[in-house]
Amino acid sequence: MSKEDNLNQNWKKDFPIKKQESTQVSRRDFAKFLTFVSGGLMVGSGFVAAKAYLLPKEGVQGEHFICNKDEVPVGGTRGFVIEGSTVPYILIHLENGDFKAYEQKCTHLSCSVFYKPGTGIIHCPCHDGSFDAATGDVISGPPPRALPKLEVFFKDKGVFVKEFVEQKQS
Amino acid sequence: MSTFRRSQNRANPNKLNNILSTLIFILILNVSIQIWLLYASLNNALDNNTEILLPAFIASAVLFLIGFSWLYYLPQGNFKNK
Repeated sequence: MSKEDNLNQNWKKDFPIKKQESTQVSRRDFAKFLTFVSGGLMVGSGFVAAKAYLLPKEGVQGEHFICNKDEVPVGGTRGFVIEGSTVPYILIHLENGDFKAYEQKCTHLSCSVFYKPGTGIIHCPCHDGSFDAATGDVISGPPPRALPKLEVFFKDKGVFVKEFVEQKQS
Repeated sequence: MSTFRRSQNRANPNKLNNILSTLIFILILNVSIQIWLLYASLNNALDNNTEILLPAFIASAVLFLIGFSWLYYLPQGNFKNK
């Protein structure tokens, strides 16, 4: 038997599915597939809820020294990483004299954000997202959430950060 | 014993067509709501608002159960009606 005959005769036996059957999706199968997707989404929601309750995110522990006050000029920024973590933060010296510290990852797709001196806006260049430098809230663009922030406080001339605790107004 | 299945199998193909289309329409609607719920719970989880996650999961589960029990009404098709 030539190779071609062998292919023609035995191949169909080994793989007895007609081409039409393999490409055509019946509406019944489509409905079942939709239910399967629905189940997947349910499991996803459950996973998100379980992860949030069982493995809550740990905030920044303790107080961390960043730099001296006079090392960051007005309108300037300084990037820092807290020991033991890889999350990048920026310290911003606002024009009104305040110091603010935010996570440097845009809440949209984690691009690096930067402060635009003189505007009071933290900008994300990837998709033109803007955050308010005074509060971290979203001003415009695609980011869905405000930038996570750290609380800045001073000891003598040193700038320190600690976890920001939100005071809920009820 | 006459069940709904028997009469469904004897129904006019037009009617089965309608049943199937409605079924798929509602399943797509359910899945869209679930996608929205998942998106909302992800955003809230990242924002540390945990109180919404459990209700979102329950809603998602209810929608899935509705869709799953809905499959019971899938017509078997006239061709299997022997």
